[in-house]
Amino acid sequence: MTEIRISGGAIHDPANDVDGEIRDLCLKDGKVVADVGPGARRIDARGMVVMPGGVDIHAHIAGPKANLARKLSPDSRRTDPLDRSELLRSGTGGLVPSTFATGYRYSLLGYTTVVEAAAPPLAARHVLAELRDTPMIDKAFLILMGNNQVLFELIRESGGAVSPQLRDAVAWWLAATGGYGVKLVNPGGVEVFKQSNGDVGGIDAEVPGYGVTPRQVLEAIGGAVHELGLPHPVHVHANDLGVPGNATTTLQTMDALSGRQAHLAHLQFHAYGGKPGGLPRSRAPELLDYLAGHKELTADVGQVMFGDAMTMTADGHVSAVLRDLDGGKWVNHDTEVETGCGIVPFTYKSGNYVHALQWGIGLELFLLGDDPWQVMLSTDHPNGGSFMSYPKLIRLLMDRGFRDDQLGRANQKAIKRTALRDGIEREYTLNEIAIITRAAPARRLGLRDKGQLGIGADADVTIYHDRADREEMFSTPRYVIKGGELVVEEGDLRRVDDGLLLSSRASFDAEIERVLKPLFADRYTVSFDHYPVRDPALREPAVTVEASP
Amino acid sequence: MPESLICAGCSLLCDDVTVGHDDGELRLEPECALGAAWLAARTRAHGDGPAATIAGDAVDLERAIAHSAQLLREAQRPLVHGFAAATIEDVRAAVTLADRVGAIVATRAHAQPWPGAPAFALRGSSSATLGEIRDRSELVIVWHEDPETTHPRLLQRLGFGEGGSATRVDGPRTLVVIDDRDTATARRADLTLDWPSDRDVEALAELFDRFDGVRHATIVYGAALAAGAGGQRRELALHELVRRLSHQHHVVTLSLAAAPGTRGADDVLAWQTGYGGVVDLASGHPQLVTATGPLLEHERIDLALCVEDDPAALADGVPVISLSSVPVPAGAEVWINTAAPGVAAAGTLHRLDGVPLTLQPPWPSMAPPAAQVLTHLLKATDI
Repeated sequence: MTEIRISGGAIHDPANDVDGEIRDLCLKDGKVVADVGPGARRIDARGMVVMPGGVDIHAHIAGPKANLARKLSPDSRRTDPLDRSELLRSGTGGLVPSTFATGYRYSLLGYTTVVEAAAPPLAARHVLAELRDTPMIDKAFLILMGNNQVLFELIRESGGAVSPQLRDAVAWWLAATGGYGVKLVNPGGVEVFKQSNGDVGGIDAEVPGYGVTPRQVLEAIGGAVHELGLPHPVHVHANDLGVPGNATTTLQTMDALSGRQAHLAHLQFHAYGGKPGGLPRSRAPELLDYLAGHKELTADVGQVMFGDAMTMTADGHVSAVLRDLDGGKWVNHDTEVETGCGIVPFTYKSGNYVHALQWGIGLELFLLGDDPWQVMLSTDHPNGGSFMSYPKLIRLLMDRGFRDDQLGRANQKAIKRTALRDGIEREYTLNEIAIITRAAPARRLGLRDKGQLGIGADADVTIYHDRADREEMFSTPRYVIKGGELVVEEGDLRRVDDGLLLSSRASFDAEIERVLKPLFADRYTVSFDHYPVRDPALREPAVTVEASP
Repeated sequence: MPESLICAGCSLLCDDVTVGHDDGELRLEPECALGAAWLAARTRAHGDGPAATIAGDAVDLERAIAHSAQLLREAQRPLVHGFAAATIEDVRAAVTLADRVGAIVATRAHAQPWPGAPAFALRGSSSATLGEIRDRSELVIVWHEDPETTHPRLLQRLGFGEGGSATRVDGPRTLVVIDDRDTATARRADLTLDWPSDRDVEALAELFDRFDGVRHATIVYGAALAAGAGGQRRELALHELVRRLSHQHHVVTLSLAAAPGTRGADDVLAWQTGYGGVVDLASGHPQLVTATGPLLEHERIDLALCVEDDPAALADGVPVISLSSVPVPAGAEVWINTAAPGVAAAGTLHRLDGVPLTLQPPWPSMAPPAAQVLTHLLKATDI
């Protein structure tokens, strides 16, 4: 393997308390090492910024939902083709790029690890096959468990407590699918939507027919993940997404999860004051206050970016609401036993009160909090905007002048209802950007060898020109190194890396299969024996992170 | 000892099937005429035939691949198509090859113009997996299809009739068949309406007026909806109606994919290129083809590579390279014998509702799966 010495760059490695230190970084056999031989390739990084490869903790890039969105939006990709070359496959971009284009474009932005945040377990083979065709990045996926009827049964039987059976079932499902972690989307609410087009109505309402509440689902599955010691804690898309006044539900959710590790997804969409049916206002500061007192909880923002987006979610009720708001295209797909899916193309307009408020709330979450390790960068790609907009988002955080200019273009009535109304002086430092885009997501995912550049870390490194225009700087890294090999140079892909599948493993009592089998027979139209993914071609090459209870 | 099998006789991919011997005959349990025919064709093909043929003459695999590569190099406008019985792995390899040689790719459903794709791209749809329909739909409407013939266990798997799977729906369920033909499915219906196939889909709204108490309903449709004049308009109208009805009921649709490989082929094409349907890779990047005439004439195809399908589905007149586990009719310039997915080769298929399943081959063969042949062909083509 290649030996590389990155010479004279300013290292930003917040996980190891390194903040702009000028020194060499050595890479060998895919890892960061203390030194390399004289024959090592030397990369002159003087005047440049060196960071670990980017880690996206929450995006939607693969699986049936993403693929339906591709088929739904040929118009958005016609003008964004990607030509094949000797090295690269062809593809198309747009809001939901083809798989190869997804991998290439993440790499060109300096990202080396991405998490697909919502996969139906029943569709794991599809997700895995798409991820195999997504090169350049290491990738993981979270499996949807918040509306699983079989788990509802186990939770009801345990009276909402974390039972050994529930723990074993969660571990079994991860083993059966190759998933990395557990995602709860609108717990209980998706099941109600599939029953009656409705929603569950708060975290203490009972899911009809199951005798469980969203609170019990949160506590029991969150508790099971915690007790199993999975590398990533339960990842929660809370109830009432997008509904004015939902901050109350979010606070209740955080309270239900507190005391154990948990991650709140796209917090911006859950930070609204006001009353259902009325105009929302911001309650971001209250959520940040709660987070400040509960370091066991983290969040990603789900920043809205003005322009086109593709909303896609397991929360079918939300999509039905957007369908009626927008009148445009709409996809709904219900997956037996497990989950739902909704897709609606959407445009966030700077002059629209609600959209501008959403934009402002996202910035409040970034700028008013005092701990970047707790609040990480995401646009909930492509729900709030494409991952391709990350450089612009970084500029909004690092450049007050740019931010104030953008503020001036947004709906002022909305901006006046946020803390941005008087301007916020804070500008993120490079180290803070390194925290919210690499170090914190990697740490939260339990990927100890990623998001940092200490000895033994994965040799995933991004080197940027230190430009005053931060958007330009983060749009085109000078170099990207993946697994110790130079893959991007000045905006061009030089080498194709297949990337690894990241899975997690927790031990479970095999007796759980005797419990699950009859429940499967009752509910699924796929037999229990044919449900688990065993094909090595889908599950390898992989890195498996062991749980540590 | 009966062998467990995932049946790829149709796009239902029943995975509760066993196969045993009865007086020398293979017998499927549960019985299914389509499944039995699928299995018989592939076990007969499992014998001592040649590895490949060129112009009908037996040749070895290497020679067939070399000749096929030569044809692909010389072709100006190659088409990669078929996929009726192809696995995800086969299609991935086929699209990879097509990308390299700059071919058009068309799934079986799209070898002729298929108005369904534009309808989906214009408005979207509401759909569900089989279990959702079985366990929630109080009303199931079949629009001018005869699944009892084309997907023989569909109604059983949706919980209808004696021997049907247990449903979790409390209370009565109604099967409505709309068809002006006397079909096996119509004979099982609780209510039959003999509307002609070109009747306005909007008329379904009246039916929902009669069943306004149902919370959950399914409309089953297939190629007939979009066939013929006004097909795209009818399909659009269906999805528009579902959208409107969704304010009062939870309404989903189930599209009856004709072949077991069709859904998965379209899925792979979409994730690798960004488009489903017919995709032209000749320019160096994917372009969606919305031809309204037969592809062969419209696109001036001069070579067809047919993967796990009947090459006769295309009109005569172009040389054909056929990769198939079933001997193809005379006329193919090259035929390469492949291991039959589900019988002799493993692989993944996407069920008609999108659920992916891994085929478990009970009788692995020496013949290579199509994916392997395509990978060798890509190397040999050396473009």
